[in-house]
Amino acid sequence: MNSSTFAFLDEDAKKEIRRSLLKAVAIPGYIVPFASREMPVARGWGTGGLQITLSIIVESDTLKVIDQGCDGSVNAVNIRDFITSVTGVESSNETSAATLIQTRHRIPEEKLKDNQILVYQVPYPEVLTTVEPDTAKQKQMHGDGDYSKLWVLLYEDTSQYGDSRISNRYPVLVNKHYVMDPSPIPKYDIPVMNNNSALQLFGAGREKRIYAIPPYTDVRPLKFDDREFKVENFSGIACERCGATDVFFDEVRRGNKSSFFCSDTAFCDAQLEKNNAA
Amino acid sequence: MLLDVCNVSKIYGPSCNRCLDLTGSEANRAICPVCNSIVAINSINLTAEHNEILGIVGESGSGKSTLLQLIYQDISASSGTIFFNGLQNDRGTPLNILDLPPSMVSRLKNKEMSMIYQNPRLGLNFLFSAGGNIAERIIGSGERRYEEIRKGSLDYIDRIEMDSSRIDDYPEEFSGGQQQRIQIAKALSSSPKLLLLDEPTTGLDVSVQAKILDLIKELQQEMGFSMIIVSHDLGVINHLTDITVVMKHGTLVEYGLTDQILEDPQHPYTQLLVSSIL
Ligand SMILES: Nc1ncnc2c1ncn2[C@@H]1O[C@H](COP(=O)(O)OP(=O)(O)OP(=O)(O)O)[C@@H](O)[C@H]1O
Ligand SMILES: [Mg+2]
Ligand SMILES: [Zn+2]
Repeated sequence: MNSSTFAFLDEDAKKEIRRSLLKAVAIPGYIVPFASREMPVARGWGTGGLQITLSIIVESDTLKVIDQGCDGSVNAVNIRDFITSVTGVESSNETSAATLIQTRHRIPEEKLKDNQILVYQVPYPEVLTTVEPDTAKQKQMHGDGDYSKLWVLLYEDTSQYGDSRISNRYPVLVNKHYVMDPSPIPKYDIPVMNNNSALQLFGAGREKRIYAIPPYTDVRPLKFDDREFKVENFSGIACERCGATDVFFDEVRRGNKSSFFCSDTAFCDAQLEKNNAA
Repeated sequence: MLLDVCNVSKIYGPSCNRCLDLTGSEANRAICPVCNSIVAINSINLTAEHNEILGIVGESGSGKSTLLQLIYQDISASSGTIFFNGLQNDRGTPLNILDLPPSMVSRLKNKEMSMIYQNPRLGLNFLFSAGGNIAERIIGSGERRYEEIRKGSLDYIDRIEMDSSRIDDYPEEFSGGQQQRIQIAKALSSSPKLLLLDEPTTGLDVSVQAKILDLIKELQQEMGFSMIIVSHDLGVINHLTDITVVMKHGTLVEYGLTDQILEDPQHPYTQLLVSSIL
């Protein structure tokens, strides 16, 4: 490791990733290839998101890293420690205090602002792989905006199960043209992507792909005109720790009893603090 | 006029400037003696009117499938033009469909034209249910309401005289004849103006063949589309078509009303063909 370089990556690597990012931002939802570097974490552990973060981070940034909503998980801590050690930037668990948030599988509950960037770790960037294995054909389908095969999956689920069976990685139509994989976030988070104030960047290290959603972009789940998009239903449920309702919950099963906790641990902490102050 | 094929050729191989002159029915060969290229289609002119049914006969390797694939643009032509259904640009100039951008080609193939292949694996997506296959075309022609798509699929399952309870079954679960019926349902579900059929019943039991041909004829009379059907079976040609085209070595050797051609063939090759059958 070259410790004299700010943010680990050499300037050429960063420049190249930024160039891919610019292209990705210019064409919302379009997948841009980039030359993924070797990183000191195993591929599949967020190297795509990590490289994006490292190539855009500046000294004045405040960093937050979450894994499935949790700041304290081993993965999140390792990534955060690594980034702060190679940049010296401040970190925070508080969503509103962070300017740069790297995430795996969740969007923070607290509404994001236009000075914030959300970087997603992506395992499978190509939304069409399930219906079309041939990459040349995938490209053609994206170019034509021809997503009828994805619609057929939706048709079949609706016919056979009453609704889509996709629980995460629900395909979204970005800026009314490209359909993209939003990474394995729950359906609950899909509406949050739409018209979001923050810049949303997506990095897949193993697949060497980057894509983006600029702030205030139209993002819609693929759904039939005469069907509702249904997210996970948590009605009547409150967090056992902080009492919050109307958030995305993690379910913890003990025997045949289920307990629910906020999946966003920073949000849960803040709620608890508020409760205690009152 | 629905279809106007002008001077279309398809050469497999390096090709030279003598290929077209030195091959064809008069030269009595399809392989260019200079450069050894295969001239699969040699300077063919052919038209089809609305509602007309054309049959193509000819020996194996004479270019019948190639001609259908060129019209359907499964393959690209070496030279020539094809005009389809008055398709023109903003200034009113007719568009050669062989030069269309890929997005317009897929629109044409999704809606205006359909192909039924001898091998159901080419025409059906075996990962999708029967209804899903039909739905794919309905979706491809722009429908985004689930109920309409489902109704459309059921309607075409009904039209091919299949029990509606089988709509969600997958292609492997059907017999060869049923798979051909599903192909027909899929092909017609976008109400195309032209249906291309490449030996749609070859390989099926004779009794099954007859039923499928009757079905095709019924649907054609009911829906009113044009057809070009390739068959080795002059009985099929006689039963179904208005016009018969005879091909040899990539060229047309005879074109005329089916009744006349079968009763009074002009070209020696056609005479041979007819006498060997009748
Ligand atoms: N991909 C290809 N590469 C090279 N030659 C080809 C290719 N496809 C077809 N040909 C040749 O083009 C000629 C016409 O083939 P085509 O399949 O159109 O014949 P056909 O009339 O449909 O024959 P059949 O009755 O046996 O189906 C043949 O000589 C064939 O070998
Ligand atoms: Mg053939
Ligand atoms: Zn030649």
